[in-house]
This record gives sequence, C-alpha cells and structure tokens, in this order.
Amino acid sequence: MKKNVSVVLIILGVLIVFGGLRPAKYKSEFNVKEFATLPTLEGGRLKPLDSAARNSLLLLSRKQTYRTAEGNKKSAIEWFMELTLNPREADSRSVFYISNPEVLGLIGVEMKEAKEGHFLFSFDDLRPQLNEIQRQGQLVNEEAQLRTAYERSIINLLNGLNAYYRLAHSIHSPDLTSKVEHEFHVYQTAVEEGGGELEKQQAGQEHDKAALDRYLFFVSRYRDLSETASLKIIPPLDPEEGPPGWENVGESLLRVIKSGHPDPIALDYARLVDAYQSGDTGTFDTVMSSLKTDLKKRQGDHYSYGKFEYFLSQFEPFYLSSILYVIVFLVAAISWLCWPRTLSQTAYRLLWLAFSVQTFGLLARMLIQGRPPVTNLYSSAVFVGIVAVLLSLFLERIYKNGIGSAVAGLIGFSTLIIAHNLSRSGDTMEMMRAVLDSNFWLATHVITVTMGYSATYLAGALAIIYIVRGLFTKGLDKTTARGLEGMVYGIICFALLFSFVGTVLGGIWADQSWGRFWGWDPKENGALMIVLWNALVLHCRWGKLAGPRGIMCLAIFGNIITSWSWFGTNMLGVGLHAYGFMDSATFWLLIFVVSQMALIGAGLLPARYWRSPATAR
Amino acid sequence: MKVIRSLLKILTSVQLTVALLALSLALIFFGTLDQVYIGIRGAQKEYFESFLAFWQYPQQWWLGRSLSWLHLPVPGGYLIGPLLIVNLTLAHFRYFRPSWKKAGIAMIHAGVVLLLISQLMTNILQEESALWIEEGGSANYMESYYQNELVIIDKSNPAHDGVVSIPTKLLERQQSFQHPKLPFRIRVESYFPNSALLQQTEGGALPSSATNKGLAVEMKLVPEERPETTKQNEKNAPSAIVELIGTDGSLGVWLASVWLGDELPAQTFQDSGRIFEIALRVKREYLPFSVELIDFTHDRYPGTEIPKNFSSKVTLKNPDTGEDRQALIYMNHPLRYAGLTFFQASFTPDDKASMLQVVRNPGWLIPYISCTLVSIGLLFQFGYHLIRFSRGRKS
Repeated sequence: MKKNVSVVLIILGVLIVFGGLRPAKYKSEFNVKEFATLPTLEGGRLKPLDSAARNSLLLLSRKQTYRTAEGNKKSAIEWFMELTLNPREADSRSVFYISNPEVLGLIGVEMKEAKEGHFLFSFDDLRPQLNEIQRQGQLVNEEAQLRTAYERSIINLLNGLNAYYRLAHSIHSPDLTSKVEHEFHVYQTAVEEGGGELEKQQAGQEHDKAALDRYLFFVSRYRDLSETASLKIIPPLDPEEGPPGWENVGESLLRVIKSGHPDPIALDYARLVDAYQSGDTGTFDTVMSSLKTDLKKRQGDHYSYGKFEYFLSQFEPFYLSSILYVIVFLVAAISWLCWPRTLSQTAYRLLWLAFSVQTFGLLARMLIQGRPPVTNLYSSAVFVGIVAVLLSLFLERIYKNGIGSAVAGLIGFSTLIIAHNLSRSGDTMEMMRAVLDSNFWLATHVITVTMGYSATYLAGALAIIYIVRGLFTKGLDKTTARGLEGMVYGIICFALLFSFVGTVLGGIWADQSWGRFWGWDPKENGALMIVLWNALVLHCRWGKLAGPRGIMCLAIFGNIITSWSWFGTNMLGVGLHAYGFMDSATFWLLIFVVSQMALIGAGLLPARYWRSPATAR
Repeated sequence: MKVIRSLLKILTSVQLTVALLALSLALIFFGTLDQVYIGIRGAQKEYFESFLAFWQYPQQWWLGRSLSWLHLPVPGGYLIGPLLIVNLTLAHFRYFRPSWKKAGIAMIHAGVVLLLISQLMTNILQEESALWIEEGGSANYMESYYQNELVIIDKSNPAHDGVVSIPTKLLERQQSFQHPKLPFRIRVESYFPNSALLQQTEGGALPSSATNKGLAVEMKLVPEERPETTKQNEKNAPSAIVELIGTDGSLGVWLASVWLGDELPAQTFQDSGRIFEIALRVKREYLPFSVELIDFTHDRYPGTEIPKNFSSKVTLKNPDTGEDRQALIYMNHPLRYAGLTFFQASFTPDDKASMLQVVRNPGWLIPYISCTLVSIGLLFQFGYHLIRFSRGRKS
C-alpha cells in the first residue's frame, strides 16, 4: 500500500512533466505553429514571433492568452497572427487591460461593467476615445516619479495603444484594400518608371508627372512604414552582418529604390498576408514553406534558436516545476503525520524531479541569452529558488526527515510565483544596459549576492517550520528540533559567507567601474544589511544571548531584511540599481512583512503555549 | 579602577557587538529611506558621516500629516564605526587565546576593522571631479562636482595667468580677505550657497542689490537665495556679492556667480597698474598632463534605444614624462593614471562631447586587502565547522 502510493505519486509527477511536452493545439485552420517559429529581431534580440507575441500581449493585457467574444481561450500567437496579418479582425479582440477607475471614467465605462469584462477592452471599444486619451497623455506630469496613479495609468494605456498600432504595421501596411503582393508589384513598376522621372525633374527637364507622383506616393508610404513597424523581420542578405543588419518591412521596401526588386522574403510575407486574408490555407502553407526555405538559406545556423525558444515557451518548465513544488511540500508535510519514511523519500524524489525541470529551464534561458543565470529581477527570483532548493536537497540527504523537501517546496513555489508576477513587465530576456554588460561581474557578484538572499530565506523558512510545528503540533520531537537548529545555524553561516563575498565583489565591481568601492547606493546598503543581520544572529548564538526559539525568530526577521534588500530598495527609485520600480509590489511587500512579524510574535509566546515539549528550552 | 574595569567589560562584551550591529542596521535602513528626500549625498552627510542623525517621518507617507512631528534619533556612522573598532579589537584581548581554531575569527575581525578604517579614510581623502572634453579637443583641468571657488585672475602677464582661489566654504565664514598676491582687500557683502539670478525690470518689485560694477549692473541682475540641495543630479549654484577695497578706496561692489559662465564677457578691472578678472566658478584642478578626446561612441542594441556601450578614445599627453599614448575608456574599464581613475560617466546628447569622472582615492587598495582577509577567515572558520560536523555525523 505504502509503496503503491509512492509509485503513483512519482508517476503523477512524471506525467505532469510530460504534459508540458505535448505540442500546442491551436484552434485556427491556419498553420499557427509554423508562423510562431518565424524569426524576428525585437528589443535588440533575435526571437521567434511567438515570444514577441507573448511579450506584447502580456504588456497589453497582463496575460499570455486571451478570450474571444464567445469565450474561447486562445494563445498569444493566434491574436498576434490576426493583428499582423489582418488587423481589422484583431481590433475587436479585448486585449487592453484598464483597471484604474478614473481612466475607466474617462472612457465612459462603469466599474461594474468593466469588472464583467475582466477590465479588458478592444481597440474598437477605445476608438471613439482616442483623441481624449491622447490629450490626457499630454497633460500628465513631466516628472515620471511624481505622477499619480491615474497619470501612470494613462501613460500605460497610451504606450499600449502605440505598441499595438506599431505591431499592426509590422508585416504590412494595412490601409490599402488591394492585395499586398499586387501592391509590391505596382510599387516595383512605379520605381522603374518613376525613379528616372525624379532625376529629370531635379535636372529641370521635362518629365512624366503621373509616374513621378506614383513613385513619390510609395516612397513616402514606405518611409512612414519603416518608422512605424516595430518588428524587424527581414534578415540581412549577408548573414555576417548579424543583428544590426535586420530590417523591418518598410526599410526593406525602401531598398527597392536601389535594388529594383522587393526582397524575396518581403514578398513571401506579402503572399502570406494575402492568403490569410482570403482564408486560403493551402496557399498559406505553400508560401510558408517557401518563406522558411528562404529564411533558412539566409540565416544559416541561427535558424534553430527560434525553434528552441518556442519549445521552451510551450514547455513552460517553471510553471511545471511550480506545480511539482506544491506536491513536494504537501507530501513532505503529510510525512510528518503518517508514513514518515516512505513519504519523505517520495517527496525527496519528486523534489529532484522539480529541481531538474527548473534547472533545465534556467540552463535553456542561459543558452538563449548567452548570459549567466541572473540578469534581472525576474531571473533573480528563479535563481533564488533554485539555490534554496539545491541547499535543501543537501539538508534532506543528511537529515532525511522531510524538512528539507518541505522547505524546498515552499521556497521553490513562492519564488516562482514572484517570478511570474515580475514577468509582466515584458521580455524577461531583455538586453543588458551598458554598465551591466559584463558577463564576468554578472557571473560573480550577482550570483553570490543572490545566493546570499537564497540562503537567508532558507534559514527563515526552516525557522518558520520550527515555530509552526513546535507551537501548533506535538510532532516536533527532540531529534527533529535539534536537527532544525543545526540546519538554521549552518545555513546562516553559509548566508553570511555568500552575502559578504557577494557584497564585496559588488564593491570591487564599483571600484573597477566608477573608482569608488562603496557609494551608499540603496541596493548596496540592502546587501550590507543582510550581511550585518546574519552576523548579528550568529553573535547572538555564540554569545548565548538567544535560545533556540529566539534564534528562530531572528532567522524569520532575516526574511524581512532580505525582502527589503531584494525589492524594497528598488521601490525607492533612487540610485544606480533603480531598474524595477513597482507599484503593487509595495503592497505585497507590506503584507509579507506583516505575516513574518506575526510568525515572530507566535515564536515569542512563552514555552507553556508550545505543544511540542522538545522546544521548551 | 572598578569603573574602568566595568567599562572595559562593557566595551569588550558580545552584547555591545550585537547592539552595534543592530544600530548599524537601523542607521543604514533610515539612511537609505531618507535618500528619496535628501539624495545619496545628503544621506551620506546626515547619517553615515555624522555622530547622530534624526529621521523624520515623511509627510508623504500614510498618516504623514499627523506623524511628521516624529524625529527618531539614530546613532550616526562616526559613533558606531569607532565603537565597533574598539569592541572588536578589545574583545580579542579578553576572550581569545591564540589557537588555530580561532584563527579564522581573528582574520575576520581584523578585516572588518580595516574595512571600517578604509571607509573613514575614503570619506576624508576621496575627491571626485569631472573632466569634460569635446571631440577633437583636449582638457587639462578637471572641475569639482560640488566645490566652487571665488577666483581673482591676474591678467597682466600675457604668458601666464596668476590665479588666486578662495574656496566658497570660506566665504560663508569669513567677512574679509587679504591675499599677499593681491593689492586689494576682498570684503564679502553677502553669500548665497545656492541661488538663482533674476533680472530686474523697469519698475519691477525686485529689491535692488548693493552692486555697482560689472555684469550685475549692466544686465540688472539680482541674486536670490535658494535652498541648498544634496540630491542626485542636482547642484548648488552659489553667488556672492563682494566689495574690492584697494589702497585708494573701493574698486566697486561686484556680483560673482557660477551663473555668469564663459559665454558672458569676463568681469575685469584695473588696480595698481595691473588687470584683474573676478569670477565665481566650479572649483578647478589643473593636471600636469592633458587628455585629448579623439572619438566618443555610444552604441545601442539594434532596433532599440537601449545603450550597449559608451566609450571614449583619448590621447594622454604628459610633457614631463614625454608620454603620448592612446587609451580607450569604456564601461567597466576605467583608465588609472597618476593616482587618478578616469571613467566614462556622461556625454552630450549629440554624442560630440564626453565627460570622464575623475576619482582620487589614495586608500583604494585597503578594501581589497580587508575583504580578502574576511573572506578567507569566513571560509576557514565555516569550513572547519563543516568538516567537524560531517565527521561527527559519520561517527
């Protein structure tokens, strides 16, 4: 019986992972998958259209999926396909997230009505208000830091509308009724006939005014398009040119003036638009395969990167591992009530599975980015989780009492939830700004500091388990209590070492880059606070100023200090590290602080209230 | 004797260590919070480089109106730092007997003491200035970030200017100056550490100032006091009204201000047959070498405005040593030369001029030494524990 339960749980875990490997199912009659893996250069980085679609939809609607008017759930790429190939259709999709009551008032929507639509609006909904939204955008405070919630919301909406408009113009310019391929051919003829006329006109000779006008019409049309289109979808003829050589469709069309004919890839895209608009799936597939052949020829080795990233987005390793972490936590917690040996071992095995899946995701991101694991707040959350889980795996291997697994499940899941919420700001693999563009320091300073965060959280989480189990259950026996005390002590030593070395490496980076070792920047101060706090806890223990329960309370306070350092300092909007100013995060940070204070308060209750007698020292 | 012994007991106690650690946490926390309102430089002065700081509950916060009377006293860096040094040093004499087991701890504490001393040295000795160079141009002086000076320049010798510089800090305190190189006396009528210049209009409501010579009279300028700032990206713009008194009486009451820059004609006058110029400007320090900017580049990631790199290609020319070489200064790669560190800090929007920040910090090596000490100490100590722990479990 015990054995069977264990096997079933592990099979369940493996099935969850395999679930992620299923190919995506799209409801469109067109071949969405082929479209999703087309390459583009956006935000300075080559990526599949699928990633561009996810990031764009995330920025607009805070989600990577959307619902049609009939209530069908669809993926970002399906919306994106509509928006870029047939914008008129896409305008009726509710993808703009507006929740600020004042902005809702501005566009004349009642709160109740907005709530029913999940605060999502379509471009068609907003169309009558565009002028007013624009006017309000001009009235906001110029200093971004002093803007009110309403003003920030208006600016967000305007940025969203702008991004939407630019995306809609990314593959073709949608405001002519003719077929796009036909338009390109007319343009080619106009260049042949009108280009010479321009020279004649400039030389003051007699010229064909109609031909010249036609030529000038197209040139100005594509110049506008080259400034509007936000995706660069045409790779350079010479692959050696690399990312700087990529062009958007407008830029590529302007080159016809010199080359005399449209780029074959631009023509393929035009045919794709025509096939999509006329609902001709057969032609769509033919054009798609010729487009892919052309792209492969031109891009060479880089071609497969997009496919890998597409696979990663479909697989969603972090999502899968977050589910597994929940299971691990539950199984480990139940092991304290019954079948301790079997269940803690099952939890330990499942933990390895979750850890492997998350590590795979992390390595895949590193491969795509060509960077060390931590490059922004998002990836720091993922990394904090991974390190804590790895440390817990060691703890579990030594102590074999389910505590390591439970704590790993807790931290692994929470950090992935944090990461998920941080991913709302767009591409999580963005390019590194000039100062940060140093793999050496990213790999040393950033990694060690983040490991310091991770270990401090781990100590805090172990302390929480100690207090909750000791205070509310009778299950915390003497061996387990001593074990927990040892774990917390060892992990705090580890945390002190890593946070100190990390902080120092930050100082050395600063000295190498700015000629000063320490600048009292908020983030630096935050890191120093973690060092000081861990030192304080250790001195309390060595000096016997606090007993085991006191040390546990101090370790929980370490959670607050670490969160302040990790997020709080960014919310100040001061200094070199002010890269992630967040509104709603302030609220959650306060909630977290209150919850930790409550746990500390519980930990300070006199021994007679504790149900486990082993903790009565 | 008894008093000394009990004092010594307190000073060497681990209780004091813990208290000091807790206080330094509070200091850093409140010092960081206040950076929003007084900037990093302000917080540095008020909190980390002071004995006692007062943190005021911000008015902008929740219930700020009714709580902003709250002034929380926080012990400053100059109080905590020395106490920590004393505590750590003395504790070693009280508790620790030399042994391998404790070698790590001794190293950690020695490193921490050294780190605290180096930070104090940095506070006192570090100077930061800016070096602006245009493409194709060269510069041989740097301008201080925050310090200004009142200068009297003797222009009589066409080959060489004689510069007498008075730091503006002195203008705040002293009423009158007599410099041996100058044939006249300087009397400070008024001094504004931060100011704006306003132009008086016909029948305007501005109060008239005491000036009777120079640009202030020609352009009808009146200085107005502004609150001093310590915020990032903000600078004070001092102005002063001074009277120059020669042997034969007053040479006029002049306005000198950083607002009166190089684009305006210099304020000159004659005395004892020599020509002088008076100005208040950002404090300059002349270098014994020159830096020429060959090219400044600002790369962005393709298709974005995200900066990828900033770099300045410069030629360093030192007539004393005959050096004439090129150097590339870019992100994370400063140039270290003659005890100074030059790093890429800013540029003009048209990418035609570059600013190098120049730092002089004679103590720069100490943190490296102390941090190595602490890191080795930590590794040794925890490694020792870990090995003992795993041996214990095996047996």
